[in-house]
Amino acid sequence: MAVDAISAAVAPPGATGITGTLRPPAASGAGSPAQAPGFVDSLGRLVLAADDAGRVANETVGAMLGGTGDVHEAMIALQQADIALQLTVQVRNKLVQAYQEIMRMPI
Amino acid sequence: MGTLTSAIAASRSALTAERVRIEAAVSNLANAESTRGPDGTPYRRRDVVLEAQPVGPFDTLVGGGTPAAGVRVAGVVEDRAPFQRRYQPSHPDADAEGFVALPNVDQAEEMVDMLGAARAYQANLSAITLIRDVIQRALELGK
Repeated sequence: MAVDAISAAVAPPGATGITGTLRPPAASGAGSPAQAPGFVDSLGRLVLAADDAGRVANETVGAMLGGTGDVHEAMIALQQADIALQLTVQVRNKLVQAYQEIMRMPI
Repeated sequence: MGTLTSAIAASRSALTAERVRIEAAVSNLANAESTRGPDGTPYRRRDVVLEAQPVGPFDTLVGGGTPAAGVRVAGVVEDRAPFQRRYQPSHPDADAEGFVALPNVDQAEEMVDMLGAARAYQANLSAITLIRDVIQRALELGK
């Protein structure tokens, strides 16, 4: 029975198990926890947040160069964009690491 | 994003406030001898009024009953202290007795104010650097 469960999780790609949670909730299979936001969703939100921070930094630097903003505002916005990007990269690294770990798993 | 970024926002507001304080001191120093302004009277010393301001989720942790974390410039007020008077009959703005009304600016006081504001600016910069380092250390957990 245990072997059946594992093969069921591995065989149909994109239907259940790990692959199921790696997809958006709408596309996930019936067996996966569709309500809980998956890791990839978090990554997507992080990418959006990092992009947002980068846009804000760009605007703030533009305002500083235009003479309407402060130097410290621009530098802080840049730092926050940097931190948001670093966080996104770290999450992405962990995701790739987990994927590789699973791919190395002998079946 | 969280408490730490709110702390950065609080420090950022302080940086802006200290910059305004420095600007006020610079304006006072620059006009220490201005005997006439737009309204015809001598320049009056400017003073910056700072006000505590709530900043995001930082308040709920630090503020407690009185939510206050950031700071903002509530306004720039004019010092109503009397003008200095200097005997200088040759001056075009001298009155009938030969006295000239000079701004109520004490240059030594302005220098001290400016130094204080600059040090406060540096202190807030240090706080921001520290918070950034803390966040980056936390990110290193993932490596």
